[in-house]
Amino acid sequence: MEEIFVPALGVSAENVYLQKWLKAPGDAVQPGEAIAIVETDKAELEITSNTAGIMGKHLFNEDTDVAVGITICVLLHEGETEN
Amino acid sequence: MTEPGQAKDFLSQMILIREFETIAEGLTLRGKVPGGMHNSSGQEAVAVGVMAALKDEDAIASTHRSHHHSIARGMSTQSMMAELFTKSTGCSRGRGGSMHLVDLSRNYFGGNGIVGAGVSIAMGLALGIHILKKNSIAVGFMGDGAINTGRTWESINMAVIWNLPLLIVIDNNQYAVETFMDRVTGGKDFVARAKSFGMSAEVIDGQNVEEVYEATARARERILAGEGPQLINAVTYRYFGHNVGEVGKYRTQEEISDWKSNKDPIDNWISNLLAKKMITEDEISEIRENAKLEIGKAVEFAEASPFPDTNTVADDVDSGSLLRQL
Ligand SMILES: Cc1ncc(C[n+]2csc(CCOP(=O)(O)OP(=O)(O)O)c2C)c(N)n1
Ligand SMILES: [Mg+2]
Repeated sequence: MEEIFVPALGVSAENVYLQKWLKAPGDAVQPGEAIAIVETDKAELEITSNTAGIMGKHLFNEDTDVAVGITICVLLHEGETEN
Repeated sequence: MTEPGQAKDFLSQMILIREFETIAEGLTLRGKVPGGMHNSSGQEAVAVGVMAALKDEDAIASTHRSHHHSIARGMSTQSMMAELFTKSTGCSRGRGGSMHLVDLSRNYFGGNGIVGAGVSIAMGLALGIHILKKNSIAVGFMGDGAINTGRTWESINMAVIWNLPLLIVIDNNQYAVETFMDRVTGGKDFVARAKSFGMSAEVIDGQNVEEVYEATARARERILAGEGPQLINAVTYRYFGHNVGEVGKYRTQEEISDWKSNKDPIDNWISNLLAKKMITEDEISEIRENAKLEIGKAVEFAEASPFPDTNTVADDVDSGSLLRQL
């Protein structure tokens, strides 16, 4: 299972704005594919996966603020289920 | 050949460093490490080989990429991790973060944020050793990026004319942020440049811990014999970006995977020890397990520690407050 989160890069703000989900629960995702778009106070950022897997639940809604470093969804690997 | 006990120590330390960096990298991405950090994965053999050849009385100054040097000098991984988290139990009481890992009880003057400053600090330490007529040396680490910095050569020049007990180690991962050293270094040859200042210098394989250890031991002997400053150019490679989270397009995937799969200092040392029957698979698993346990404890300690009390913000900012604590 890969936990997808907004990485803390340099001295970015503590919260970012979750603009849009690009993948829905159940979608297949390839390594490096964009999963969501977030906005920091400086730039728009694509959140990407490192591994291949199946999208789990959206843990936050679009158009909300999420904290940097918090898991926003998981990618399920072969044989895994979300609890 | 290194004796078996020391050979295993080399391996344990390199694995401990790799584990520290792997865990710290993840925590930094999760926002636990204010100000970020410079990952030293890939460069373990330089730190471990150099430190193993030094004595307690030798003094050391590091660079902005210092986690591997700090662990190899024997610093507590708990006080290091707490410092990365900027907690009050960190080695710099949470004031410094990743670039200010320091342990004066080990004569380890630690990291700093100024490219090339480790050389100048070590030159000062060598001057102190010289004036006090101690039988020890000072070691300054620098990155390849510091090869084209004025303060590096001003310091080296002074060390040469005063014949100071100074060893410079270039932790040469071949890149300064995104810049490949060859593109910005006139003459391209660090050793030739050092020799032109009147010091001895050699280039070594920084991925071979034994070679690093032996070169350092030789250089230390020469310095103590009065032969003056020495320079070691240890060629190595960093596996991650300059900073945590950096997306790098300036190195090819082929280059990165060639270093990781063919020249990894830990894998190669393991193959070497297995071939010579100096270690068993079980011992290797135990070393890895112990490293995981130790770093796990370091993270727990850092998480559980408090941030510094804001009322103490003015402490340690001038020499008066430092002197009052002595
Ligand atoms: C005097 C100075 N100039 C620039 C910087 C910004 N800076 C920080 S690290 C770095 C690159 C250093 O490269 P290198 O010496 O090769 O060390 P490495 O990061 O590869 O370990 C630069 C330019 C700085 N900290 N200090
Ligand atoms: Mg470099």
